[in-house]
Amino acid sequence: MSGEHGELTTRTFVDVHAIQDELEQVRWGLHENGEFSEAAEHAAAEARASVLNLIAVVGSERQLTEVSHTLDALSVTNPSRTLILLAQHDRSVGKLEAEVSAQTRTESGHRVTTERVLLHAHGEVAAHLASLVTPLLIPDLPVVLWWPGRPDFDNPLFDDLCELADRLVVDTDEGFEPPDLKRLLEIARREHAGASIGDFNWARLIPWRHLAAQFFDMPGMLAHLAQIHGVAVYHGRDGSTTQARLLGGWIQGRMASIGIEVPVEFRPDDAYEHGVCRFLIYSRGPDGQARFSISHQPGGRLSTEIRVDEQDFVDRTVRLTRRAAEELLAIELTLPGHDVLFEEALAASLR
Amino acid sequence: MATATPTTLTQNVLREGLILPRTPDPAVMVIFGASGDLTARKLMPALYNLALNRYLPSGFSVIGVADTALSEADFKANMAEAVRKFSRTQPVDHAVWQSVADGIAYVRMPFDDQDGYGRLAAELERMDRERGTNGNRVFYFATAPQFFPVIVERLGASGIARAGQGWKRVVIEKPFGHDLKSAQALNQSIHAVFTEPQVYRIDHYLGKETVQNVLVFRFANGIFEPIWNRRYVDHIQITVAEDIGIERRGKYYETAGALRDIFQNHLLQLLSIAAMEAPANFDADTVRDEKVKVLKSIHPIDVASDVVRGQYGPGWVGGQQVPGYRQEVNVSPASATETYVAARIRIDNWRWAETPFYLRTGKRLPSRASEIAIQFKNAPHLPFAKTAIQDLNPNVLVMRIQPHEGASLKIAAKIPGPVMRLRTVNMDFFYGSSFLIESPDAYERLVLDCLLGDPTLFAREDEVERAWGLADTIENGWAAQPPSDFPNYAAGTWGPEAADALIERDRRRWRRP
Repeated sequence: MSGEHGELTTRTFVDVHAIQDELEQVRWGLHENGEFSEAAEHAAAEARASVLNLIAVVGSERQLTEVSHTLDALSVTNPSRTLILLAQHDRSVGKLEAEVSAQTRTESGHRVTTERVLLHAHGEVAAHLASLVTPLLIPDLPVVLWWPGRPDFDNPLFDDLCELADRLVVDTDEGFEPPDLKRLLEIARREHAGASIGDFNWARLIPWRHLAAQFFDMPGMLAHLAQIHGVAVYHGRDGSTTQARLLGGWIQGRMASIGIEVPVEFRPDDAYEHGVCRFLIYSRGPDGQARFSISHQPGGRLSTEIRVDEQDFVDRTVRLTRRAAEELLAIELTLPGHDVLFEEALAASLR
Repeated sequence: MATATPTTLTQNVLREGLILPRTPDPAVMVIFGASGDLTARKLMPALYNLALNRYLPSGFSVIGVADTALSEADFKANMAEAVRKFSRTQPVDHAVWQSVADGIAYVRMPFDDQDGYGRLAAELERMDRERGTNGNRVFYFATAPQFFPVIVERLGASGIARAGQGWKRVVIEKPFGHDLKSAQALNQSIHAVFTEPQVYRIDHYLGKETVQNVLVFRFANGIFEPIWNRRYVDHIQITVAEDIGIERRGKYYETAGALRDIFQNHLLQLLSIAAMEAPANFDADTVRDEKVKVLKSIHPIDVASDVVRGQYGPGWVGGQQVPGYRQEVNVSPASATETYVAARIRIDNWRWAETPFYLRTGKRLPSRASEIAIQFKNAPHLPFAKTAIQDLNPNVLVMRIQPHEGASLKIAAKIPGPVMRLRTVNMDFFYGSSFLIESPDAYERLVLDCLLGDPTLFAREDEVERAWGLADTIENGWAAQPPSDFPNYAAGTWGPEAADALIERDRRRWRRP
């Protein structure tokens, strides 16, 4: 019983009641004829932890494989009911298939089980998958919609699922353009409690934000915060500026909250391929001109420098971990409410 | 040229939404006993990991103090080696370590050497000048306890303890004395130089997620608090069981025993958090006030009837034959030191009157387990046929601390079938399986709290003294009557028969944890 990791059953269904029955069976380890097995008796004597419903939407078999790997790694830390939708509405022949499986892992002596339903739809039905998703969710638990890749904002499926979800998780590094960011903000600010938005790209900025905030925690430095008069964000040469825009939007939004307008400059840095690589904050304070800088260093590190009135302070180096998708997703799953700072940064970056 | 009036900010608006409310001020940590085991195994790896994860401020510095002949380069090399060996994150990031090592210095001196403190003061001033540490100091006593008073006295006499601006804090490691008198003497000698709010008594047990889990379990869930009292609870059992013996700590253990080693601190801590009232907020003093109130409400203990001690003889644990306590290294063959304590404790307040707490701890018990078990009263009336309910057990809610943190609730359920047959089932919940996030090391958490000036998870003077007062009552009761039956339990059993008698007298039984 212990040490196993794998699929208990995998079967194909098209009927929602059949899927529900199968889910019950794999959840409690019942035999297919519904009788109690030894495993079921054991299962009946323990509670099963589930912390959320997770819906992942993919557009191709290749993406399905990637997403499945991420979800496998996540299942130990976040036991959940997972629905993966492989929605290919552009394929003409209508088709709907479902696969139900349970994954059991044993981690330091106790079992964690995640049920997974894969819904594969072609043609028109692909746009209406939400009607099949609703009855398969566990009640009373939050619904997180993970959309790897840039969503098709005009697909009715996207809209329907956003209605269902408490949180939409995307990665704006996947080719999001300003109009896409605008659509995201609209979703978050919908009346009737729009879904909160999680963004891997925003999560990747946490170390940058943390270090920038720490500059002004230092004794005597708070006076410089109110005197920030300019910011420069350097980004890689590949032309993708979304991350840089979010970081710039963040400091603009924060400073605007205390009535200070801060101009932000974006500059490409040819030495780097992709993403934010340097963040400079210029200020003048009682003790003269100051420059606060955070730089990406080779080997996954960030280093900081403070220069006030031509004098250098002690610098430091910290780690900048490149987080895997499952880690970023795990962070997003523990944040339930609206991230007002993200929404503020998004709004400021669009101004 | 700014034309607008400069805004005076009182808080850092960039901080919002980030995990920590603020970064500690730049400070120097002076580690006394820097060449010792604690520094290498715990402290330095904790500091490195804090730096790695951006928790330490720029300019944070360390001065190691010890009487070991080491150059500064040697000391740094030793620390680098310690981090390489003991850091919980691997491999060590050399650039980050280098950034930490840049702020490390070493002062060689005996702890009572007045000249040495002069050199230490000069080194501290240099740090302030070059690294902007502003007079903020943490004095970390990673030495044997007998050195605490002399270090405190010299820190005072040399002026280091008060010099210049900035805050000064002292961290001391348990044991905080070995009885009430010595604890008071230690507190007095510290208070001659430092005030109580400057003193951080570190007990890594408190830094564990567990203790906080128990508090969250009790006070963030509305359904438990209404039944957490004498009306619904029959009794509470708190167990800290160890399957190991005393390892190589014979010398220490001979003078400590289970009473001082576990009962006085860990068991009483668990008692406090299980029995305390809901604090109004999570401020350091509010939480600790509630914990102390529990200790103050403990009904005077009648040692002869409410406490049982034991010592293990040879036996079998986990399939291995093990020696008895008196056969361990550095233990007297006629030792009267206890390796087991069980006590029946009553708390005189409205919540717990008439609801006994049974506490026990021991070495070489059959398994390792720490838990708080709340045994509820039986249902007042059972409408089912008598035959079906005879063996039905009352509900038990267990908060497990080791080996797997979690909770379980024992409930009655109907066995499927035409006949009404009931059976007890356990609903288990493991914190770990719901969110298996890497827990920070207890030391990291505590060091950071100290740098931030948050003493919630540190023991306060009155708490320590109350706990010693209780331990002394028991110790004095025992001193009057040396044990005649030691060893009185075999290794691998659940303690002496007298412990069973203690609880069975009340028509109750020890749980098998």
